Amino acid sequence: MTSIAIRAPRGLPALGRLLPYVLAVLAAFAVAGIAILAMGHDPLLAYRSILTTSFKTPFGFVETMHKWVPLVLQAVAFTIPLTAGKYNIGGEGQLLVGATGATAVGILLSDLPMAALLPLLIVTGTVVGGVWAGVAAWLMHRFGINEILSTVLLNFVSFGVVDYIASEVWSDPAAGHPSTIPIGDGGLLPLLGRPPMHTGVILAAVVVGVAIVWMRRSVGGYELRAVGANARAAQVHGIRVGRVAVGALVIGGAVAGLSGAIEVAGVHGKLLEGMQSNYLLLGIIIGLIARGNILAVPFVAFGIAVLEVGASAMQRSAGVPSEMVLIVEALILVFVLLSDVLAARLGRARS
Amino acid sequence: MNEIQEFLTLVVTAMVPYILVAQGTMLGGRVGVFNVSQEGMMTLGASVGFLVSLGTGSNLVGLVAAAGAGGVFGLVLGYMTTRLRLDQFVVGLALFFAAVGLATLLYKVVIGVTLQPPLIATLTDVRIPLLADIPVLGPVLFAQDLMVYFAFALSGFLYWLLYRTNTGLRLRSVGENPKAADSLGVDVSRARLLAATAGSMLMALGGAYLPMVYTGTFTEGIASGRGWLAIALAFFGGWRPQFILAGAAFFAGMEVLALRVQVAGVGVPHQFVSMLPYVATLLVMMFAFRWARVPAFLGRNYDRESRTAS
Repeated sequence: MTSIAIRAPRGLPALGRLLPYVLAVLAAFAVAGIAILAMGHDPLLAYRSILTTSFKTPFGFVETMHKWVPLVLQAVAFTIPLTAGKYNIGGEGQLLVGATGATAVGILLSDLPMAALLPLLIVTGTVVGGVWAGVAAWLMHRFGINEILSTVLLNFVSFGVVDYIASEVWSDPAAGHPSTIPIGDGGLLPLLGRPPMHTGVILAAVVVGVAIVWMRRSVGGYELRAVGANARAAQVHGIRVGRVAVGALVIGGAVAGLSGAIEVAGVHGKLLEGMQSNYLLLGIIIGLIARGNILAVPFVAFGIAVLEVGASAMQRSAGVPSEMVLIVEALILVFVLLSDVLAARLGRARS
Repeated sequence: MNEIQEFLTLVVTAMVPYILVAQGTMLGGRVGVFNVSQEGMMTLGASVGFLVSLGTGSNLVGLVAAAGAGGVFGLVLGYMTTRLRLDQFVVGLALFFAAVGLATLLYKVVIGVTLQPPLIATLTDVRIPLLADIPVLGPVLFAQDLMVYFAFALSGFLYWLLYRTNTGLRLRSVGENPKAADSLGVDVSRARLLAATAGSMLMALGGAYLPMVYTGTFTEGIASGRGWLAIALAFFGGWRPQFILAGAAFFAGMEVLALRVQVAGVGVPHQFVSMLPYVATLLVMMFAFRWARVPAFLGRNYDRESRTAS
């Protein structure tokens, strides 16, 4: 039950560590290309539209960055507990309750000026996400319930919460889909540039930067890694293993809650049923492709955001269903995992 | 009286996916393979089962095809965690979303986007002569579709296999102490490979059952958490087939109760009622984990050449 199993073999130079990634991506595209060909479509046309949509127009790039925010935050929310050997599969529930908390603040205090409302909204979303994950962490710590179960089951509870808020409490009947009335203008993230990009992108980048420094350069981060590498050894050395695991889940939940608050303040301006999209799945796959290495997470997340934004373009231009992208992503992960096995075998053969 | 009978009949039907998926989880778990791709296997099984039933006009062929698809994924899980010794949770999660993606992709490729999705015939009930005439119990237990009988018979078979045969003893030893099992000549990898494959086949069957009794068609969220709940059920049942069968009644009861209360309306907003199965599961897990006996090597790979004993 350790997370070491997905870490890359040590002692390779940087280039040698990057090479398996490149090969894994190429192999995934090659295999998916055969499938696209078998379905009677043109794989090269499909790939061109996937890979260029984000860079052809400023709009595509802004859309990609907007997509990057929830993806990278969900991946961080998964990676932090993973470092301590815990699997947080509750990111979408934490996102939704974070969004709910942010929306509640945005509606109840809609008259506040931006300087007060926006920070309050962001902080509320973050705290609520952390508390939600805290429930799962408490169930794990106090009752020994496997954290995969305690986190994932709370997702389904959060669906009910969102549905209740969006269709009973602050329902917007004109929306035609369970959704709340808009939050106050002071709660919206300011926009920058043209086409406008919301400043949640900067916020997310800062949070990811802090997470990287914290994980790699602080005592807390060290304890996290020690528990993940060998819980028994960590305990012998005086680290409170249970507390570290609970803390990791709560921090992960807080980051996921933040992603919900940013979605409300930057993208939708309200709480919306289904706003969690498939960010949980993508966050997990990003965290696993990055092999739990927080430094790699923002880059992998960007690559996945490019694929996701390109997916609908591919469906339009080449006629390939956008779900093909999910297969490509799963294949990349499988090949990254296999490259470890291959590298280990080669290393053994050489020595 | 009629109302109780109707409720119980629905519960028995709702038990089927829980039984199949949780027994599949248990089967892998008893040899140490902790599969976490249930939700994906169910979605894939539902998609394949629906599409093949639609194409061939036979639900039976659809069920067989769904089991086959699940078996392929189970084989991959088994191979990657035994021969390649990759982390079980990582591979399980990878297979989970590969299966969800494949399920939706297959549906889109074959059916496309339509306003009116095609429907397949639902399973027909088979009355067992004489037994079905018993008051209350008869219609509830003996006038159901064939998958109900299969699920109950399977539970009995697994109990017999695990606790009454030599093979079962060997299988259980692999999950408790693979090194000892290995030294006695049990092929650990093969046992895990077979159990993971068979387990995933059962999960896909449990998924394929959903369009064949409830919806008549496939939707992306068709499993709606049942796969995750089935993991909880495996823990709840202490990884023993007989208790999983009993526990399935509780899980199915919660599901049917939530639906019933939503329809009837009792003054509580229906959104809170829909949380019932998940909240109730978490509540019972608080106590189940105290007595649940978990296989010692659950989720841990076995390396023959490793020098540490555990």
